[in-house]
Amino acid sequence: MSAYLAAVLTQVGIYALMTTALNLQYGFTGLINFGLVAFYCIGAYAVAILGTLGYGPLFAVSVALLVAAAAAWPLGLLTLRLRGDFLAIVTLGLSEVIRLVAINERSLTKGAGGIAGIPQPLAAWSPWGLLATLLFANVVAVLIFRRLVRSPFGRVIRAIRDDEDALRTLGKSPLGFRTRILVIGCMLMSLAGAFQASNIGFVSPDQFSPEVTFLVWIALILGGSGSLWGALVGALALFGFLEGSRYIRDLIPGIAESDLASLRLAAVGLGFIVLTLFRPQGIVGLKN
Amino acid sequence: MLKLQNISFGFGELVILDRVDLDVPKGSIVGLVGPNGAGKSTLFAVLSGFVAAAAGTVVFNGEDISQLGVVARARRGLLRTFQVPREFGTLSVRENFAVALHGQKGEKLRHLFLPGRALAQQAEDIDRRISAAIERCGLSHLADSPASKLSGGQKKLLELGRATMLSPRLLLLDEPFNGVNPAMISRLSDAIVELNRAGTTLLIIEHNLAALAKLTNTLHVMDRGSIIASGEPAAVFENPKVREAYLGSRGVHHA
Amino acid sequence: MQLVINLLINGAVEGLMTALIALALVAIYLVARFPQAATGDYVTAGAYSAYIVYTKVAASMVIAGLAAASAIAILSLTYFFLVFGRFRGRTYVSPLLASVGVAFLTRNVLTFFVGHDPIVFPTPLLPPIRLDPILLQPIDLVVVAAALIVLGILSILLRSTDIGREIRAVSDDPDLAKISGIRSRQVLIIVWLIVGLICGVCGFLLAIRSVVEPDLGWNLLLNGFAGAILGGLTSFPGAVVGSLLIGLAQELSIPLVGGSYKLAVPFLVILVVLLVKPAGLFGRVAKVR
Repeated sequence: MSAYLAAVLTQVGIYALMTTALNLQYGFTGLINFGLVAFYCIGAYAVAILGTLGYGPLFAVSVALLVAAAAAWPLGLLTLRLRGDFLAIVTLGLSEVIRLVAINERSLTKGAGGIAGIPQPLAAWSPWGLLATLLFANVVAVLIFRRLVRSPFGRVIRAIRDDEDALRTLGKSPLGFRTRILVIGCMLMSLAGAFQASNIGFVSPDQFSPEVTFLVWIALILGGSGSLWGALVGALALFGFLEGSRYIRDLIPGIAESDLASLRLAAVGLGFIVLTLFRPQGIVGLKN
Repeated sequence: MLKLQNISFGFGELVILDRVDLDVPKGSIVGLVGPNGAGKSTLFAVLSGFVAAAAGTVVFNGEDISQLGVVARARRGLLRTFQVPREFGTLSVRENFAVALHGQKGEKLRHLFLPGRALAQQAEDIDRRISAAIERCGLSHLADSPASKLSGGQKKLLELGRATMLSPRLLLLDEPFNGVNPAMISRLSDAIVELNRAGTTLLIIEHNLAALAKLTNTLHVMDRGSIIASGEPAAVFENPKVREAYLGSRGVHHA
Repeated sequence: MQLVINLLINGAVEGLMTALIALALVAIYLVARFPQAATGDYVTAGAYSAYIVYTKVAASMVIAGLAAASAIAILSLTYFFLVFGRFRGRTYVSPLLASVGVAFLTRNVLTFFVGHDPIVFPTPLLPPIRLDPILLQPIDLVVVAAALIVLGILSILLRSTDIGREIRAVSDDPDLAKISGIRSRQVLIIVWLIVGLICGVCGFLLAIRSVVEPDLGWNLLLNGFAGAILGGLTSFPGAVVGSLLIGLAQELSIPLVGGSYKLAVPFLVILVVLLVKPAGLFGRVAKVR
């Protein structure tokens, strides 16, 4: 397997983790999280900061997950009573504030320049170490998704989607259930960030713009929101295309890197518009 | 069991509930009748916690619950059904019952992801309880069908059966017989009587006075936001105010 | 004291520009019931249009401004006919997601043709006007004047014309409006047209006051949402008042939290408003628990 393919698959794997997490939050539970990059950012910076300070990967990842949970829990309790469109705006705002923190708290995050030299312990173990672990993480994520969906917990979530007021009259509060889903999803997104920091070896605030959030959303809708495999299919399709088409430059001379980037993203935008108009159920196509 | 005092509610200048006083003694079945638009369903909304009254108090089982929300009231044993049934459409009948039970370990994350047998053990108990409840409703043959596929009368049975399974202290029934065929009515009626015998107090909104009369001797008549008469059916319907309220409306049914 | 006054002036100017984008958001929210995520990119496109016209066609602010307004009006209508106008009868999630796609497409087509580098609008350099202790930038006066003109026109349109009445009716109750014979689709077209005009002007004003870059409109979007939500999301005057307050609050926060964190102010406002009084200052909401 060439190094190029491994690199593409690694990127795809990292985004797939986030797409599965979003599938849990939106596809299954209906939460419109437009701020997911915030948790990706938290995970990446946690590993970056702790890794460069000499802490081991297990500790760094644990901290990444804990911080994400600690941030998602109060966020959930505060905001998950809000209507979906308001939740979208609030979560979007939150992710921008997190990015502001990353830019401004130089003592912690080294500011706009970012943190370099993040250790890559899995790469030291084996060239395929990171990819293998990532694949394993994705399988675990899907299994978590499956377990939740098929459980009594999942049954409550489905009841909430059908008629949350009716559920309240039975004495169960939707907020606690939604918040738990939010926390689990955000922890997975943080894990993706942790992988990314280790993968690239470098983090900086501009890696964590809302563009990432929206690309994950596009991947989910493309694959098929709500279906078990939809997230993976969508992530593979979208990020496979984006990462893979980076190298088209080698075939088309004379086009600048940034122009090609714009072209690819414009194509994604156009494709997504067409998708929402004509096949909103995505590739896997679960009809609701 | 339930005591309303001075409940008022409205939108701006529109008065929907006007200083309503109501007493529902423990263990009784009480009927609430009146023409359409009298405010009966709004009263239920206030009682169940969906709407905050502008004034007045609701005392339930000796406790002032006026400031409590829907979930808190339900947890204290104050349940309700809806005029148009609100079943969980994409869930099966069985799941509709299952989701109502409290204390399920399968709803707690630690039991889902940490090893242990508590989950499996409880699952059997739950299954038995649910199957029994579904059996009592006569819906066993539809247990695994999506609830959306049930007829109107069957959905009412489901709502009632599900509420019954939870043994509420007080059940608010909103037009349980509306749109239900006569055979089903007697089944629902029997279920209500049984529930009452088991200890549940009931407050029932109904237009079908004949069916209601088989269940209770105490009626309160509402019109335009207030209670205009209370007492036994015969006496209440002699009352000229009540006759006037019903004149010109289709509110009176005799089966 | 001088500092405070200058902060207030700056805040008012920024608040006025925010008000324009907030109005665009409220207008779409009223008639189509979803937050239009590409509104910022419409504004950015307006900024670039103004720049291109000013440098390649005629070095006149008025022409550049009008051209920007027209260009984005056309853009807005095109997107309405091809995309947003086709979402009748679906929940708000569909057009919301589509607007994300529109944002991606618009922004990246722009950057493909004009690049990512920030561009300085070659406005004529005029000395600041001294009215001790205040220092006024002539550009700010232009911005204020233009914004007030737009607000004035909109105000007259909504209050005194038939179309204005129809817009208000459709936003209050689309079904009732249809029954009373108001042609919803025509109203929608007019609203999207107006939204395009407003975004074009807003982009032009942003361009002449700061640097033209791909994130220009997007950076104002959160402020716009904050202003709209503070104002009540269903009220035009509310959006203006809310935006002014946001602008002032942001500037006044600089001495407290530093220039970079002033961008956290709109987020905090959104959070507080939605948690405490979701109807904002002027919105209408029925009281249900």
